[in-house]
Amino acid sequence: MIRKLNIFLMLTSAIAFVAVYGLKYSVEEVAKSKHELERQIEHQQADLSLLKADWSYLNQPGYLQPIILRHADQLSLQPIKQTQFGSLGDIPMRPVQPDTDAMTALFQSLEAGVDPVDKPIGGK
Amino acid sequence: MAVMTGEDAAPISLTGGRAFRGNLTRIRIRWVIAGLVGIFCIVGGRLVQLGAVVQDTSIEGRSQQEISASRPAILDRNGLEMAVDIRVPSLYAEPRRIIDVDDAVEKLRTVLPDLDAKWLRSKLSGDKGFVWIKRDLTPEVEDRIYQLGIPGLDFLTESKRFYPGGPEASHILGSVNVDNKGIGGIEQYMDGSGLAQLQSVGLAQGQNLAPVQLSIDMRVQHVMREQLLDALTRYHAHAAAAVMLDIHTGEVIALSSVPDFDPNDPSSMIAPYNGEPRMRFNRITAGKYELGSTFKTITIAGALDSGAVKMTDRFDARFGVRFGRFTIDDFHGQHRILSVPEVYKYSSNVGAIHIMQQWGKDNYRAFMTRVGFDDPLPIELPEKTTSYIPKKFADVTAATASFGHGISITPLHMAAAMAAFVNDGVYEPPTIYRRSPEQVKALAKRFISSQTSLEIRELMRLNALEGSGTVMDRQAQGYRVGGKTGTAEKVEHGRYSTSKDFNVFASAFPLDDPKYAMVVIVDEPHREGPTTGDTAGWNAGKTTGMIVANVAPMLGIAPNFSKAIDDQLVPPSIR
Repeated sequence: MIRKLNIFLMLTSAIAFVAVYGLKYSVEEVAKSKHELERQIEHQQADLSLLKADWSYLNQPGYLQPIILRHADQLSLQPIKQTQFGSLGDIPMRPVQPDTDAMTALFQSLEAGVDPVDKPIGGK
Repeated sequence: MAVMTGEDAAPISLTGGRAFRGNLTRIRIRWVIAGLVGIFCIVGGRLVQLGAVVQDTSIEGRSQQEISASRPAILDRNGLEMAVDIRVPSLYAEPRRIIDVDDAVEKLRTVLPDLDAKWLRSKLSGDKGFVWIKRDLTPEVEDRIYQLGIPGLDFLTESKRFYPGGPEASHILGSVNVDNKGIGGIEQYMDGSGLAQLQSVGLAQGQNLAPVQLSIDMRVQHVMREQLLDALTRYHAHAAAAVMLDIHTGEVIALSSVPDFDPNDPSSMIAPYNGEPRMRFNRITAGKYELGSTFKTITIAGALDSGAVKMTDRFDARFGVRFGRFTIDDFHGQHRILSVPEVYKYSSNVGAIHIMQQWGKDNYRAFMTRVGFDDPLPIELPEKTTSYIPKKFADVTAATASFGHGISITPLHMAAAMAAFVNDGVYEPPTIYRRSPEQVKALAKRFISSQTSLEIRELMRLNALEGSGTVMDRQAQGYRVGGKTGTAEKVEHGRYSTSKDFNVFASAFPLDDPKYAMVVIVDEPHREGPTTGDTAGWNAGKTTGMIVANVAPMLGIAPNFSKAIDDQLVPPSIR
């Protein structure tokens, strides 16, 4: 009875030994990959912060203006003058008379079964 | 062991011997147990002791959390970043964990060849727990050092403040020192309002801080600073500054004071300018000046609002006003009887004195308190100064104060008062932060009546059309700007200098539906050319006009050349 118990206990401890050994190494493995991931995250956050800083630097009016001034000649850019602003009121209304002849021609051609999309009126 | 009791008696010692042996075993077991318990106690005690050892993780007196603590990004009103945190890796070593110093030095110098071998060896040897090797590395260098696999070397991510706009908004932002603590400007204000505590308990980590949005518009800020720098060279001036307020909310749209500094390099804050120290301060909030004739707007607004003076009243400006030995006379002398609009238009000192006297000097003094000139500015920036206004006015101080001499306030005080005068008479305390409509409502305070506000707007526009603001108006045609000039002689060695002026232009636009108020100052300007003057209209005024012409389209104000607007704004009765 005792013998059996002893054998059983010895087996258990052997298994436990192997299991603990394995666990220790797997934990080390996990810890290592965790550290690696953390480092990667930190790295990417650092990259991100740099990119964001870059982006905001490139968007600063103080950065853009010299570029615009440098290329003003090539692109014929000029500061807008007060007199160049218009309003909706300045835009002329549509011509009062619609182009009735063209409309008639369109309807006639449609009735005749010729879609101007396929064959534009007036040839070509 | 047997105990013999007689010669024929059988030994009866068997049980006794067994018991004796049993006792002995029990005693031995007890000793062993005691011994084992003792050993376990020692082991346990040692474990507790080891567990109780507090590892000193602080680095040069700062916790790791503090070093990696971040500050919130600062955005302008359109969401453009004005200050961001960048995460930079810094290399440190734990010399007590380094096995082969020479090997480590050799390997490290393949990546960082500029490190001195001797210096590095002395750093890495020894029994220290922490030494910085090199700070602010790039991620690429970090990677290469990591690949070397030297034990005892590691990286710490530090937060560093970066101001993408450079010096653009320096006086608003302030800066931070090497320990990431705010030194000046809104950075210092944020530390005072709770950020420092957050950082010390480690809650301010990484990207988890909500960005702070300011009321500044970086586009306007840029234009304003450019124009001020232009003014500085154009007029060979000592300094120049400007501030623009949203009159409805009190929000500061732009605030610039040149010479300024680069927040990315905090030492530039105290760098001398043209050989002079203490030049790079914020003149808008931390400088107090005699703002000259711009005060006539205050005098007339108060006098009109009290009812003691009406727009149609006429004042005798034929002769100067005598106070004992002194006579105060006009700069642009008309020497005739002037109406209120004419007093304003010709900037008559004599007229202003008469208006003030008709109103009463004590009323004038009380009005200054009412418009907030006595109180320190309610703005968030830590750099601010208080006004200099005598508690009680004597006759002569009241007289000079009516045209802005003998009393000093900050330009922001003036801007806030001008904003209130054109905002239907309702004052909003200036702020650098965004303000919600509810806050605006809660903070509103009436300075003058709507009727007086209308009259002040008429006067301001009149001055732009016919008075000292014409140079300004030519620059900003179509934007309905109006304002008042102020040319004050600077005090030098206790007396007014005749050669050194301090020029101001206080304005608002568009006056048919006022939205923004602005104050521009130019310190010690010179003539631009032989055909121009050196009074405020020629420099501070012109600069105002150029700023408005550039920023009005950005702020959504369309130019309007219709004569009807000006006819309505400035009725013929006051022309």
